[in-house]
Amino acid sequence: MSQPEPTAPQPPRWSLALTALFSAAWVLAWGSWLWVPWERTWLVAAQATVFAAALPIAIAWVVWCRRQVPFASRASYLVVTWTYATVWQLGLFLLSRLAWPTAATLLARLGTAGFFFIGLAWTVWAIDRAGQRRQRARQLARSAQLQLEALPSRHAAMPAEARTSDPLDPQAWYYGQHNAKLNQSITALGTYSLLFLLAFLFVSQVGGCRDIYEMPAGGGQQKQLAQTVKVQKIIKKKFVVNPFSAISFKVPPIDEVKLQLTEVTEHAYTVGYGAGAGAGFAGGTKQGKVRFIRLEYAGGDWDQDFGIGADVNMLIEYGIRTTQKVEQRTESRTVAQLKSFPAEKSPALVYLTGQRNISLSDSEVKILRSYLLEKHGMIFGDNGGSSHFHNQFVGMMRRVLPNVRPTRIPLDDTIHRIPYQIPFLPYVAPHGGKDALGWRVDGRLVCYYHPGDIGDAWTDDHSGVAPEIYESCYQLGTNVIFYAHTEYSKWLESRKQQK
Amino acid sequence: MAGVPQATKVELATPRVGRWLMRTMLRACGRRPAQANLPQRWTVQLHPRNVMTACLVVAGLLASATPGLSSTLDELPLDRWKELREVERYQLNVAEKYYREKNWKVGLAEYEKFLTLYERSVGAPYAQLKWSLCQIQLRKQNTAIKEGFQSVIDYWPDSPQAIAAAYYIGQAYKEMGETRKAKQAFESVLGEHPQHFAATLAAVDLVDLTMIDGDIKARVAFWKQLTFDMPRTKESKRYCETASRSLAAHQFEFGVFDDAVGALATTYAETSLAVQVAGVVRDPIKRLLGDEKRQVQGEQLADRAAAWLRSHLPPAGTTDAEQQAARQHWYLIADVQAAAGNAEKVAETYEEILQKYGTADEPLGRYANWLKSTSKYDEARQQYARFKDRIEGQNQIAYSFRQQGNYEAAVAAYQTNLARDVEHAVRWHEQIAATYRSARNYPAAIAVYEQLWKTDAKDAEKWLWALATTYRDAGKYKEAIGHYRQCNNFPNNYSEMAACHRAMKDYKEAIILYGQIVGGAPNSAAWAMLQIGHTQEQAGNKELAIKAFQQVCKSYPRASYASQAHAHLQNKYKITVTLGGGTDK
Repeated sequence: MSQPEPTAPQPPRWSLALTALFSAAWVLAWGSWLWVPWERTWLVAAQATVFAAALPIAIAWVVWCRRQVPFASRASYLVVTWTYATVWQLGLFLLSRLAWPTAATLLARLGTAGFFFIGLAWTVWAIDRAGQRRQRARQLARSAQLQLEALPSRHAAMPAEARTSDPLDPQAWYYGQHNAKLNQSITALGTYSLLFLLAFLFVSQVGGCRDIYEMPAGGGQQKQLAQTVKVQKIIKKKFVVNPFSAISFKVPPIDEVKLQLTEVTEHAYTVGYGAGAGAGFAGGTKQGKVRFIRLEYAGGDWDQDFGIGADVNMLIEYGIRTTQKVEQRTESRTVAQLKSFPAEKSPALVYLTGQRNISLSDSEVKILRSYLLEKHGMIFGDNGGSSHFHNQFVGMMRRVLPNVRPTRIPLDDTIHRIPYQIPFLPYVAPHGGKDALGWRVDGRLVCYYHPGDIGDAWTDDHSGVAPEIYESCYQLGTNVIFYAHTEYSKWLESRKQQK
Repeated sequence: MAGVPQATKVELATPRVGRWLMRTMLRACGRRPAQANLPQRWTVQLHPRNVMTACLVVAGLLASATPGLSSTLDELPLDRWKELREVERYQLNVAEKYYREKNWKVGLAEYEKFLTLYERSVGAPYAQLKWSLCQIQLRKQNTAIKEGFQSVIDYWPDSPQAIAAAYYIGQAYKEMGETRKAKQAFESVLGEHPQHFAATLAAVDLVDLTMIDGDIKARVAFWKQLTFDMPRTKESKRYCETASRSLAAHQFEFGVFDDAVGALATTYAETSLAVQVAGVVRDPIKRLLGDEKRQVQGEQLADRAAAWLRSHLPPAGTTDAEQQAARQHWYLIADVQAAAGNAEKVAETYEEILQKYGTADEPLGRYANWLKSTSKYDEARQQYARFKDRIEGQNQIAYSFRQQGNYEAAVAAYQTNLARDVEHAVRWHEQIAATYRSARNYPAAIAVYEQLWKTDAKDAEKWLWALATTYRDAGKYKEAIGHYRQCNNFPNNYSEMAACHRAMKDYKEAIILYGQIVGGAPNSAAWAMLQIGHTQEQAGNKELAIKAFQQVCKSYPRASYASQAHAHLQNKYKITVTLGGGTDK
């Protein structure tokens, strides 16, 4: 790259202009996909079109490069970089639309690493090029000075070489006398890494400040589902007298009567809270949906069985049972990301599971405390497989809410009654005992802890437990999600009234 | 008339308790004893119906004595029992029987039956209270509060159960984590019925609630109320005593020494006050010394406590009992100084004791123990060597060597005792063998145990087990199995035998033994089934292992082993269909 480049064939101007225009559109689409929290069909369609269109354009440029320009030229490197960025983001977009979070995360990490090295290569090239230019300029100046010195003139004595502080110049004074080039490279690498990190944080973290959570608009009553029993009499006629007898009399009602009872769960009311129309919540919005968000934490396996059915099944079941609008996919958020949700647009409930350690920093503990107390959120903890996790979870809650003790949640508590009456606590395996624990603040449950792997009962195979157990687990999950959203809606309503 | 039960003349020799019981029974039968004090021999004509009634009263009394924090709040007073009609008493006893048996569901139904049949009975508020307590046990606190306790207060506000119900409302709220409501309920009981036992319990619960919100000021106020204001009845005494100790510890820590002693003096007599002061002051001293900022206060507290104890030394007597009492008092001073970690003063105190009361074994032993606790083993042994009871002194020396890990010296010391104390040879042989085991000198330990097994037939089983475990520790599994087989403590011996077979990679035998535990010991069956799974896994039979783990989940879903099997299946084999599942019913 340091050699003077041969004259390369130039692409048509119109193609360059079109690509520049498309690049601007692509950046817009990328920004909206990353930062705009609303999901509108038209927006997703537009994003998909722009991202997909990048592929043929990239292919066209690659073909052009292969035909027109030599392999190691600046133009080919530019095309490779552009293609890399667009194809990588297209892959990410597709994977996240297909709800393959694990693959998407992996691709995001690998892609970021690749992007770091590509950027580093361009940085090295640019610095090297700039350094060479300055070196050439200095050589020209020196040769001119030598020529001047050769002349017998009173102005022959030229001033000494000027001290420079240009970072692109390897002769800058702060790079020192020895190994100036090496020092410049190290400085460049450090600066680039820092800038890359800042840009990464900006994209991943600052972008989250626009993440919002909205509940579905509507209304309903916070009361138990009505259970009705349909009774059907099946009368089997039985003749106990001689039908051919000459004596005619009324046959006494001694026929065998069998009762066929069918228990039917009837939605005698709308599952929701508030006075709005349709199933939903008074504090919700038209675009709002019930979402199922898993909480990411360090130290353990927050993603246990994530994305293979359990959470999605529960969300779908919740949608079917309550007829409220639910998101199609489940999601995950880090504890730090919870901070970026605004106060009245925070998730009403986050789900936390695993079977190993839970390692939270002090700042994460503060974020969780603020989420539970100030943002009126709720944690749905589920012991995914060990008594160790039970201790970890209780320990974590002790740090988050030091002034609240866990208590056994009564079976006649609202959370165990509405919308489904749960007469017993169902579990898959008693990892953390047989009692559901609750952390209550001002009468509201801010955390519900299930000790027996309820998530495993939500999976496609229900872990092989009996139908009445997994049905109860779905009902309990529905109750917890509904409780969190109802309490959140009540809080929103009260805040509106205060305003 | 045939079939009519006849009255029986019974002559009773009545001790004091018997007379009280008889008075109670007679009152319940509707008869009054002629005199206030019954004669030593009492002749009564007991009609079978009256006997039955009296028995029911006694049964009722016994039945209502349930353990728990508030043992007397959920009992029906005696005068109410006697006011019940016979049918009411019968029904209430039926309900009480199920309550006593912790059959909450049936008990609940029986109390409900009582309420339906005898709504106007004097036992109705009691039945309603117990119905609510059954609901609490069935984890339906909301129902208990709204439909039970509150009903007692609303319908029978003047009954004794109304106060109890008010307290239980607070307790139910506390159990549910509704601390604000609980606090309100307890404060209401405390304010309205300050002399009732329920108020004592409410104050205790309020103290606990202040632990949650960290309100130290309120906590101290409640402790003071419990210590100084509450009537100390038979039931409330222990709560007031605990409160006085807690208050004293708090006051010691915060420099109010005299008040702390005053708080303890409300509970303890002059004779035992010093013991209590020394006992309670130690923790605050340790807490203060553990805090860098408050170390000086800790030292001051220790000095103050020691000075107080010295100023309260019992008068020097001449009898053994008086001397013993004085010596015990000196130990308290040494203990306080030991808690402050002041080695010099502890040593000085013990020297003073030895000078005053001579070199008795007890102060020497205490001094040596303290020296050991500061890792001064050689000095401790010097004290043990001064024991008058040379055998015990030598025993302690040997034990101190064992604690230090100097097993050879320990064995030598025990052997000295063996030579001196032939009568108790078994004891010293046992110690020698245990020392050899600690030193991992298994052949020597086995030899000693063999000898013990042969000579001490009385404890043959014990020596057999010790032999087996020593063989196991030595890695001689075959010999270990042979000895375990002779033991009778099934299933422990079988589980050990199976472990030995597993160590020898003889998995088949191990599985057979675990199978026998599954069949013969229901309490260990889940564990044994889990071990079968692990053994199959070690043997390389993955499918059989999976089946065994699934069997644990399926057959013992409520056991903690089901949790382990479930997690193992998921983590090791990535199997999601683990079977099992259960409810908390």
